[in-house]
Amino acid sequence: MESFPLGQGFAGAGEDFPALLRRKGLFGQATVIDPAARITPSNQQTWTPTEATTILAFKFSGGVLVAGDRRATSGNTVVYDRADKVLEIDRHSIMAIAGVPATAWEMARVLEHSFQYFRRTQLQEMSVDGKVRALSKLLRDNFGLALQGLGMVVPIFATYDSGVKPEGRLYFYDAMGAQFEVAEYAATGSGSPAVRGILYYENHWGAQPLQKRSEEEAITVALRALDTAAESDTATSGVDRIGKIYPLIKIVSGAGIKTLPEERIAAVFEKTVA
Amino acid sequence: MIEEPYRWVEAIANRREYIETQLASGSPIAAVGYTGGILFLTLGRAGQKIFEIYDRIGMGAIGHPGDIERLRMAAIELASTEGFTRSAADVSLRRLAHYSLSPALKGAFEQIYGAPYLARMLFAEVGATPAEDLFFRVDYDGAIATNGATFAQARQDFAVLSGTRQSAELMEAFLKAEHKAGAGLETALGSALDAWSVGHMALQRDGAKELPNRATVSKHRQEQLAGMGIEAALLERASGTAIRYRALSDEEARALISK
Repeated sequence: MESFPLGQGFAGAGEDFPALLRRKGLFGQATVIDPAARITPSNQQTWTPTEATTILAFKFSGGVLVAGDRRATSGNTVVYDRADKVLEIDRHSIMAIAGVPATAWEMARVLEHSFQYFRRTQLQEMSVDGKVRALSKLLRDNFGLALQGLGMVVPIFATYDSGVKPEGRLYFYDAMGAQFEVAEYAATGSGSPAVRGILYYENHWGAQPLQKRSEEEAITVALRALDTAAESDTATSGVDRIGKIYPLIKIVSGAGIKTLPEERIAAVFEKTVA
Repeated sequence: MIEEPYRWVEAIANRREYIETQLASGSPIAAVGYTGGILFLTLGRAGQKIFEIYDRIGMGAIGHPGDIERLRMAAIELASTEGFTRSAADVSLRRLAHYSLSPALKGAFEQIYGAPYLARMLFAEVGATPAEDLFFRVDYDGAIATNGATFAQARQDFAVLSGTRQSAELMEAFLKAEHKAGAGLETALGSALDAWSVGHMALQRDGAKELPNRATVSKHRQEQLAGMGIEAALLERASGTAIRYRALSDEEARALISK
């Protein structure tokens, strides 16, 4: 730890945690995008989306369910089959990531510390809008690198708003940092087109809308959707039947975050999916 | 003036007297260990005095609100950047107090043309076992008092902070006699309230050297509880999450008072 400066000016509200880290030289500078540098056909080709995975989230009767498969890939190679892409940021917030793991995990770490730093310094919990905006800002700061083909991240953010109207809230982002709040479901990653189709179908023509489903029914939908995504997308592992590796599923509700134990997921899988 | 050593010593003494006078009205704060962690407690009418610094570190402070705020921000900033670049386990109260806060406070205090910090702080860090719990009192001149782990004194699982030295000493004497290691939360809360009352009475009756008797302490405690709010916080040893600090509301704290 270094000693703190004696001649301090006004402290507090003006500075957020990433700015504090940058002031101390502990975090990369926000990339500046040169508006004069137009994207030419040659460097346009170098920007290849690399969000190879499948993440999904939807609201059900018991809160917001967030699920992600476990595969990490590099090109056409599977490098890891137990990757954790559904990350807890605080007691009521989850960030699920598709994209380059190094950047995504660093972002999650910055975000986690940002929320705590805010609560400790300002003596109040950061608002849901503030949290959503904090992630948006991190993505925008990273966009220059994403454009260069390094470190693209496309996350989903799920949290519980205990404000005036207590309810789960769900957002997805694009790589530039625009956030979109969704009422029912969101999916991101290379396997997401298939998943989005399934969630749309289930929500409209299934036995019940997703919001009315029980926990077991919700787990079933999540497992079936990931398994379908894995059927055509090589970057998604779905359920590894031989290795007994199941997707990671977490549930956000007013009571906090619940990580479903593997046995519970395995039991539902055996009963309704396999 | 400061070219002459004697003048410098005199200036420092004047400054000390000035700060002590400013701090003298500060309501006491007690930090007491219990089986599940550490309890911070004070009574007050306005202004928060107990704060979260990091996952396992809490702070209580008396003094000028502006100075408390600057020191609190500095402590949070240092702990947060350390916790981010390394890990939460690398954030150490010992280093925060000795290496970061103390030299800066001493520097500000002894530069007699600048403003000193009008604040006195009490830090606690909850450890994996009660034997690893740390208490640090850091004064406006950078002086540090700990709960032990030195050759000179026995280890104590409590620490106090008050406006005057006399009040703090009486509180310590009281806790030394009354507070037993391994106490539950309710017992610890009772001891902390009594210790606060002892300290508070000493601030009102200047020159008190003896501990008041039990009945006087209880009476004072009842009177003050009727007119003031309890401000308390816990550092829980096993809370199931990384963040061990939890503020106790006035209602929660009052529900724990055993009759």
